[in-house]
Amino acid sequence: MRTNAGNLKKGDFVYYQGEVWQVQKADFYSPGKGSALMKAKIKNLLSGKNIEYAYKSNEQVDVLNVESIEMQYLYKDNENIYLMNERTYNQFTVPLSVVGEVANFLKEGTKLYVYLHNDKPLTIRPPMSVKLKVVEAEMAVKGDTVSGAKKPVVVETGVTVMVPLFVKVGETVIINPETGEYTGRE
Amino acid sequence: MKIQTNVGYLDNYKTYLQIEEAVHEFLKKKGYLKIDLPVLSPALIPESYLEIFETKFKYFDKKEKLYLTPSPELFLKRLLVAGIGNCYYLGKAFRNSEPNSTWHLAEFTMLEFYKVGVNYLELADEVLEMLQFIANRLNRPGMTISFDKWEKLSVAEAFNKYAAINEKELFNQKLFIKKAKNKEYKINGASYEDLFSQILAQEIEPRLGKNGYPTLLYDYPRELSSLAKLSKNRKVAERCEFYINGLEVGGFCTELNNYKEQEKRFIQESKKRKKNKLINHAIDKGFIEALKYGLLDCTGAGIGFDRLVMIFTNVDSIDKVKLINIL
Repeated sequence: MRTNAGNLKKGDFVYYQGEVWQVQKADFYSPGKGSALMKAKIKNLLSGKNIEYAYKSNEQVDVLNVESIEMQYLYKDNENIYLMNERTYNQFTVPLSVVGEVANFLKEGTKLYVYLHNDKPLTIRPPMSVKLKVVEAEMAVKGDTVSGAKKPVVVETGVTVMVPLFVKVGETVIINPETGEYTGRE
Repeated sequence: MKIQTNVGYLDNYKTYLQIEEAVHEFLKKKGYLKIDLPVLSPALIPESYLEIFETKFKYFDKKEKLYLTPSPELFLKRLLVAGIGNCYYLGKAFRNSEPNSTWHLAEFTMLEFYKVGVNYLELADEVLEMLQFIANRLNRPGMTISFDKWEKLSVAEAFNKYAAINEKELFNQKLFIKKAKNKEYKINGASYEDLFSQILAQEIEPRLGKNGYPTLLYDYPRELSSLAKLSKNRKVAERCEFYINGLEVGGFCTELNNYKEQEKRFIQESKKRKKNKLINHAIDKGFIEALKYGLLDCTGAGIGFDRLVMIFTNVDSIDKVKLINIL
């Protein structure tokens, strides 16, 4: 499908120099003279590399038709994450370089959407939030009541996150996997 | 669009007010007169790539089209012709058909000022002095940029240094378009101005204002300045823009005061507006009449005030310096 670069938005998949990239950010920019531009940050879905490209806003861009299918996260190794289509039991892999930091917050059984193009997985759509159990935490120091103060804790996927002082071992916290930020407790 | 309330950014907004105060104080000290201006006008200066907001005045059967001003230029120049001397406007300006982004809002705050008897590079020195004045007033330790000097770069030097396009190629439309094609830019239906802007945005701008000082980019190809005077050899327009951390914050140019030349450019710009299918607004003929009467040699500067505040508050998005935004 072809579209004006002016219509690009975060999450779109585009062809650029023969490879598939995902738009991370797209900002309209008018320099006052010459046509307006669409300054896009795009991520290569093979290497995970980010680049910035300024499209003319009326330039035609090839946008990929993709389907998103819910899958179950199984596990990861040093290179990929492994997912399963629960309906067909087919397994898929997505490189860690493409998934990025989000992979640190996925635990077995997490359901998430995978974008496919011609039945090949491109990348995942990170869940809005993940619920993870705290496995290691220091007790809050008494008297430390500065509002907004945070401490590091380790959650069940092994990654460290910053949470409010009142969070204890065994509790389940809600994390935004894209930013790694604590958003609440269960 | 929605109304967004941003009380969480109260501190940034307080800095906004401090900067506003510093600007008023600096310009007053330098002898500029503050001018309050309308934002609705029955006619505008035609600009080929800028879409406007159109509205209507209504009274019974009487209807008259009015436009929100994309810049206070048409008013301030009239006053300059009338002999008001150095003057400035700090207020709202409007640009349509540009979606809100991290560095642009359709309704934004513009600082525009004119100084008589100086050229663009001389006014640049005063702009730098104003930036120093603001920085001293705010006294922010930890600012990563110093306003002690400009990093000066001509457009030709910048294209040569960052885009490997030499001066001959830059100033020759055919060679320039060929070079853009070699760089794999899409050239179908694109004008010289389009490709100039694209290469500037892609290869050059991200490198400007990143060496600890603001970068002053100056001497643009003549195609890229509708209201700037040409240099003596008529090769370049006496125009400059300044950048901080890759972001264009403001620009200035020696003002064109030859009314015949201005009239000619008005006609060209109007034709391009038509071709670009932009709103067909009434053209401000009074502006040409005023120029006929005689505009003194002067330089005008336009600074995106919200962007200036972004620099001093160190935020990455323009909506973070205001308490209410329409996004």
